[in-house]
Amino acid sequence: MKFSRSLYATVALIMAYCLLIGSTAEGRTSDADSGLRYTSYAQQWDFVAVVVYVAGAMGVIFLGWYWIRLAGAITSIARLLKSRGINAVCRTGKINIPIRVRQIGVLREAIRECLDSCAAQIADYEKQIKDLQIQVQLSRRREKNTEAIIYSIRDAVIVIDEFDKLLKANEAAEKLFMFNFENSQHMPIRELISNNYSEFLDFLSHSRQSKGQASKREIEFVKDESIRTFDCIVSCIYDKNRQVCGAVMVLHDITREKEISEMKNDFVSHVSHELKTPLASITAYSEMLADGEAEDEQTRREFYSIIQNQANRLNRLIEDILNTSRIESGLIKVNKEPISLAILIEEQLQMIKSYAEEKNIEVTGQKPIVFDQVLADRDMISQVIINLLSNAVKYTQHGGAVRVETQVDEVANLIRVDVSDTGVGIPEDEIEHVFDKYYRVGANKKQAKGTGLGLNLVKQIIEKVHGGRVFVKSQVGVGSTFGFELPLAKVCMGSVV
Amino acid sequence: MTGKKVLVVDDEIHIVHVVAIKLRNNGYEVISANNGEEAFELACKNKPDIIVTDFQMPVMTGMELVEKLRQHEDTKDTPVIMLTARSFAISKEQQELLKISDCLSKPFSPRELLGNIEDILYQKELAIKN
Repeated sequence: MKFSRSLYATVALIMAYCLLIGSTAEGRTSDADSGLRYTSYAQQWDFVAVVVYVAGAMGVIFLGWYWIRLAGAITSIARLLKSRGINAVCRTGKINIPIRVRQIGVLREAIRECLDSCAAQIADYEKQIKDLQIQVQLSRRREKNTEAIIYSIRDAVIVIDEFDKLLKANEAAEKLFMFNFENSQHMPIRELISNNYSEFLDFLSHSRQSKGQASKREIEFVKDESIRTFDCIVSCIYDKNRQVCGAVMVLHDITREKEISEMKNDFVSHVSHELKTPLASITAYSEMLADGEAEDEQTRREFYSIIQNQANRLNRLIEDILNTSRIESGLIKVNKEPISLAILIEEQLQMIKSYAEEKNIEVTGQKPIVFDQVLADRDMISQVIINLLSNAVKYTQHGGAVRVETQVDEVANLIRVDVSDTGVGIPEDEIEHVFDKYYRVGANKKQAKGTGLGLNLVKQIIEKVHGGRVFVKSQVGVGSTFGFELPLAKVCMGSVV
Repeated sequence: MTGKKVLVVDDEIHIVHVVAIKLRNNGYEVISANNGEEAFELACKNKPDIIVTDFQMPVMTGMELVEKLRQHEDTKDTPVIMLTARSFAISKEQQELLKISDCLSKPFSPRELLGNIEDILYQKELAIKN
């Protein structure tokens, strides 16, 4: 700008000077009529005027030419910006102007600086946009992860906002409270959960009001006509100002855990009783012998026999407890060998005889069949047979009968053992649970004492250890048949394997 | 102290048997039952001087038997000794409320049981005399 002002001032001065000289020259020319002396002066001044006019004209031409160049340069810059865009210009960082004008170079530099500044600012904004995009992606990924965690949890999980409206819920929550999450988003939680769960809703309100980190309560729900117990946890979510802006609810179904816990307590109570009962007999009869209360040899023998039987009973019970634990943990040592089931059954029938005689129960077994060999652990199968026999005697009234039958299915290569009694029987709704650990048939608890381990052990030994199958059929007031199937041992070159 | 009648109740016949031998050897008359229901009928019919019963039995438990005995005119004051395999099964309050004279935990000593029976019957006789 400074240069252009100087240029204009110079040109204007030249023009003014030329015009002044021109006018002076004309004046002098008019005075020339008075003498010849002046003629040479007039000619001289005419020449100067011509020169001045030519110079002035050249100045105007130069200015016009300069203006055209300047306009052309500006137009080319404008076209360049228009055609390639400011971003492209910024990216390249260079503006290629087809003509060279010194002053335009200054303008070009100014524009370039301006563009460089804009480009730097745009680059900064682009970086910020990229960062924000990454953050958005991360947030989305985190949200997806959170959703995946919530959906993979088997407990019911519900997330609500500060207005108690539903934000998230997993499948377990949908099933528990009978709603569809897709159709229920942002609905008030009190509209979604029916009044049957009022205790839970009250607990939620209480937890929200208390603003505690996490509140926990055991709540019972009536679900599908049965009572289910849930461990409910409500955790408040806080904003920057420590105000509650939502809550996460987790409902863990502990019905089964509570049942198992109760069964275990029941089991411990029963086991202690079961262990003490034979121990009481052993202690009492031993003391009687020591005190000389058995007067004759026959009485003494009777006492010895009772002590021995009760000791065996105690041992069976301890074996039941230990073997259940060993099989479950996989630590039991299995010693499989070819054994005859008929012989084992006969041995166990002899063992149960005295117990059956106490109740005047007739126990009968089948004669040995031709080939009844199985590849099995002798002690374990003995335990199975004695458990089934003692159960049959235990739940059969005085004067009843217990029968053991064995059948061989050569086609299926199986041997089947049935232990039938004329006992109290099992109600239909309880029959599927009789092999469960610690389970005792409710209706028969008063009939006899027990631990709820015997039949579970039978199932474990037959199915888990020997790959067989257990079964039961029963009718209340008529009797029960418990049995098992085992694969027959193969005969190879005269030996059994 | 002989000729006294003792009712022994337990679903374990070996326990009934051993207690019966111990008591008979010491001059007691023994009647026995295998459950509470049977025992209640025998108690009402035979009016024993003392009852020794198990705590946990099928059909009717020892506690149910005592509750029933206390409601019957003929047996409301009959001393009862409870045998139990479960420690702390009976609280002091329950024992006092149902007038259970003594609780023995299994395994028990027949000798100790006999001593307790003798003590309770002696106290009972003293109370009658006074």
